[in-house]
Amino acid sequence: MTVERTVTIVPEAGLHARPASVFVQAVNDHDAEVSAGRPDGDLVQAASMIAVTSLGVGQGDDIKLVADGPDAEAVLDELERILTTPEAELDDG
Amino acid sequence: MAERTLDGTGATPRSGVGSVVWYGRDISLPDLEGEVDPDAEAERFADAVETARDELEAEREATAERVGEDEAAVFDAHIQFLEDPTIEDAVETSIGDGADAANAVDAAFGEHIEQFEGMDGRMAERADDLRDVRDRLLRLLTDGERVDLGDLPEGSVVLAERLTPSDTAQLDPERVAGFATVTGGRTSHAAIFARSLALPAVVGVGDALETVTDGDEVVVDGDSGQVLVGPDDAEREAAATGAGAAIVERSVETTDGRHVEVAANVGRPAELDPAAERGADGVGLYRTEFLFLDREASPSEDEQYEAVREALDTFPDGRVVVRTLDIGGDKRIPYLDLPEEENPFLGERGIRRSLAPDSDLFATQLRALLRAGADGAGDLAIMFPLVATVEELDAALDALDAAAADLDDRDAAAADPEVGVMIETPSAVFMADELAARVDFLSIGTNDLTQYVMAADRENERVGDLHDPTHPGVLRAIHRTVRAAHAEDAWVGMCGEMAGDPDLTELLVGLGLDELSMSAVTIPEVKTAVSDTEYSTASERADRARLAATRSEVHLTLDS
Repeated sequence: MTVERTVTIVPEAGLHARPASVFVQAVNDHDAEVSAGRPDGDLVQAASMIAVTSLGVGQGDDIKLVADGPDAEAVLDELERILTTPEAELDDG
Repeated sequence: MAERTLDGTGATPRSGVGSVVWYGRDISLPDLEGEVDPDAEAERFADAVETARDELEAEREATAERVGEDEAAVFDAHIQFLEDPTIEDAVETSIGDGADAANAVDAAFGEHIEQFEGMDGRMAERADDLRDVRDRLLRLLTDGERVDLGDLPEGSVVLAERLTPSDTAQLDPERVAGFATVTGGRTSHAAIFARSLALPAVVGVGDALETVTDGDEVVVDGDSGQVLVGPDDAEREAAATGAGAAIVERSVETTDGRHVEVAANVGRPAELDPAAERGADGVGLYRTEFLFLDREASPSEDEQYEAVREALDTFPDGRVVVRTLDIGGDKRIPYLDLPEEENPFLGERGIRRSLAPDSDLFATQLRALLRAGADGAGDLAIMFPLVATVEELDAALDALDAAAADLDDRDAAAADPEVGVMIETPSAVFMADELAARVDFLSIGTNDLTQYVMAADRENERVGDLHDPTHPGVLRAIHRTVRAAHAEDAWVGMCGEMAGDPDLTELLVGLGLDELSMSAVTIPEVKTAVSDTEYSTASERADRARLAATRSEVHLTLDS
């Protein structure tokens, strides 16, 4: 099952440093292939810290997430939570 | 005279002498000529990743124990990069195209390192992390012998292009005489680390450092910021004895017999042993914020108990002054919902938070302290930060009584500690007599006191001249506090940066301070300075200094 969602990023640091690390960890903890990118751009592997931070997406930017696999819905729920939680309140789940 | 003198930036006011061990620049990639077996190379790569992960996990554990959870977190990022599928894909592709594993790794990382280097500060740090991971893999793939930083011969001076957090965490101050790096500044991770472990260090020497070779004898002078290559006997001796700052194990007094306690400011448990080794009589300021930072919820009573117990057991014959949680101002903790304030330094911070919004946290902390004080070897003292009024002190003392009563209900042993107040506000200075009448000691926090007395933000360079504790306004505040305390038979300490400046020791002893508490690094110098001071002379000079009208008059008095 492939699902898709677009989320507006809340953490101040965007998808850098700690939020990126939590994001990638969440992808790796689920059974799904996830890709991410700007809505109008190429998608990259969401399981790659390098690829995700290289997107250079900041606070207020939209990011498109596409997930494929048994955990597709669950992983997108979790990623949406991470992307919409201010960094200060972020826990590692 | 040394054969050569190289200039850099001093990280600690200490010097050390030893022989050079270069770290981490021996990786040479194999030539691309000849046939390689792709399957074998893929397997070598997989093995290298696995070994690297084992190493990183071991180093993470060791760092968490020796330095702190905060510093250990860097290894998590490294593990994430190590297992990054982007890298893995790129390496596999290169190997498929005929590259050997080492060259494939070099190429896969190189592209991303360049990309991150071009980005802003935070991302540039990622480039450093990637370089770290790449070099680790390359070493494993090229059978490069890596110098084991955790197992250097005694008297080694480590030279490196740069030292990463994972590198510095392995340096053993018992064996390493110091380090110097090509890159880095006073606030780089390596420099900060050197200060907290009192390790002589010079950073930012530049490419000239590369002319120094393994086995050369060097002096690393963190005070002048110089590296002396091939020092002469006098230079060698001066460095080895740290310019007269031999560690003084005993407690010290002035030449005319006035005892002055010299204690350490400690910000986390890893600093306890270095403080004891540098001859601290005890801990004059045990900051408890480390227990609350970088976590998702407040620490349990038992966790706090353990941390304080550890400090008390490190100083079985000494006193450990624990400051209750001091947040607000520039210090924030995510799960404590601090208000947005126009003037956070004049807002809800220190004891103000402990009494109202965080009173449950305060009660837990006080119970933990009293229990640790009952069980630990040393003597516990409890100190309340940013007290401005007698009402606040009374409320804090009530909370302490309540905590003792709670423990009594539980049949848990509770200490009967000395209790004190930090003097950081002008109000506390004016009310020092009333405060001292209610407690055992006062401790002057000169950083905040100077800021509030001079109305000058210490972070603001434009008013940096005003933020100087040797202004007569601040000296008179210190004198007034000491006089008020002694009239009430309370002792007075000082735990700001001023206390750790050996050039000011005579002045502070002369002003009547009973205890000076500082970063471990300057304890030997200050102990020596106390031993060289004659109290009667110091007292006369301190009177002249505080009665001066201007800072330049103060300095004339000090220099005379």
